[in-house]
Amino acid sequence: MKRHTTTHRLVVALLLGTGLLVSSAPAGAHHGTANVYDNSKPVVMKGVITRFEWTNPHNQIYFDVTDEKGGVTHWTAATEPPQVMLERGWTRKSLPIGEQVTVYVFVAKNGAPVGNLQKIVLANGTELSAAGGGGGRGSAPAAEPAAR
Amino acid sequence: MSTRFTLALASTGVALFVLTSIVPARVRAEAAAAGQAAAGQNAASKIPDLAADWTPDQKRGGIGQSFSLSDPGGRKRGQEDDIPYQPWAREKTLSEKPSTGPTPYFGETTDPQVLYCEPPGVPHIYNWPIKTKFIQTPEAVYILYELGPYYRVVWLNAKHPEDPDPQWWGHSIGHYENGDTLVVDTIGFNDKTWLDQMGHPHTDKLHLTERYKRVDANTLELDVTIDDPGAYTKPWNGHRNFTTSKTGFLRYQQICSVRENQAFTDALYKPAATNK
Repeated sequence: MKRHTTTHRLVVALLLGTGLLVSSAPAGAHHGTANVYDNSKPVVMKGVITRFEWTNPHNQIYFDVTDEKGGVTHWTAATEPPQVMLERGWTRKSLPIGEQVTVYVFVAKNGAPVGNLQKIVLANGTELSAAGGGGGRGSAPAAEPAAR
Repeated sequence: MSTRFTLALASTGVALFVLTSIVPARVRAEAAAAGQAAAGQNAASKIPDLAADWTPDQKRGGIGQSFSLSDPGGRKRGQEDDIPYQPWAREKTLSEKPSTGPTPYFGETTDPQVLYCEPPGVPHIYNWPIKTKFIQTPEAVYILYELGPYYRVVWLNAKHPEDPDPQWWGHSIGHYENGDTLVVDTIGFNDKTWLDQMGHPHTDKLHLTERYKRVDANTLELDVTIDDPGAYTKPWNGHRNFTTSKTGFLRYQQICSVRENQAFTDALYKPAATNK
């Protein structure tokens, strides 16, 4: 991950400097007709966990991000459902309320503060991967499967 | 002692004699016959042990989006080389809005499993990131799923009914082959489920064959043959690989709840799908 550090710092800086509107412009986003998240690269943010829903069809992570002017944005990111995240080493207690985290999220193309979690790093440096992505509502992940 | 009582006692004695001499002989004969049958069966077709907590093998295909062997990711939905569509089935596939895959429609999917919380049926259930378990008895194999949680009964040494009622999971019969494979033959489906995440349809003429092969301690492979003369011009094939789970079967129940789906849609889909 080290080779991405500089890029990530830039992204974080950009985020903080532009009121979090770093995701690509609305790409002709017709209502529900295409991918609504930009899966090309994750956006990196530092935030504080406010709620963690360990549930079907997908876990939901709620966190607050504060910009340099003190403005707070409430974000929501999805992961796979519990039975998948258990297999990846997560539990329902993985993200305590108040935990300071660094999140890597594929964010909405339209700039809404929502997305699919890729990974999250806790204050003590523990890294929890969510690779595979959230994907569709109530269903299997949108990620392309590996070759057979 | 009355005559009646003496007769009753004598009758009991005869009955006891019969039970202790004749019946054990019959039991011994049956046991011997069963032993011979078992020995013959072992030589011809050993029963494979399918017991494990099976999960889709992420390193070999994962859950996949489509059962097309040429297009497991669903990128060529409706145009796959190996799916012999009848025209209406291709049109139907292209008219659907999958919830996942290259172009997921999230909160506006037409996937009946997501939309109505209906059973996904087979083989669609193997596009889900859930675990599967087999319970083998002499009478049947019970296939248990973390999603639902649903289960199917695969009747061994049995025939399909003449005219089965069309149902969500159909009517399944099975047998073992080669000492390592369970073959499941299913008919009697309704036409309400998708074959996979990409919306491939089927009719109540679907005849599905599943071959579950225990390759080694940590590997199970599934070959499916989809034979539906109502939707496709000839049978076509799919494949899935499974490995053993680290966390075990049904550690968490994958329940479909309209309420939970709605909460997810409200939190994650609607904000992203609104034009700004």
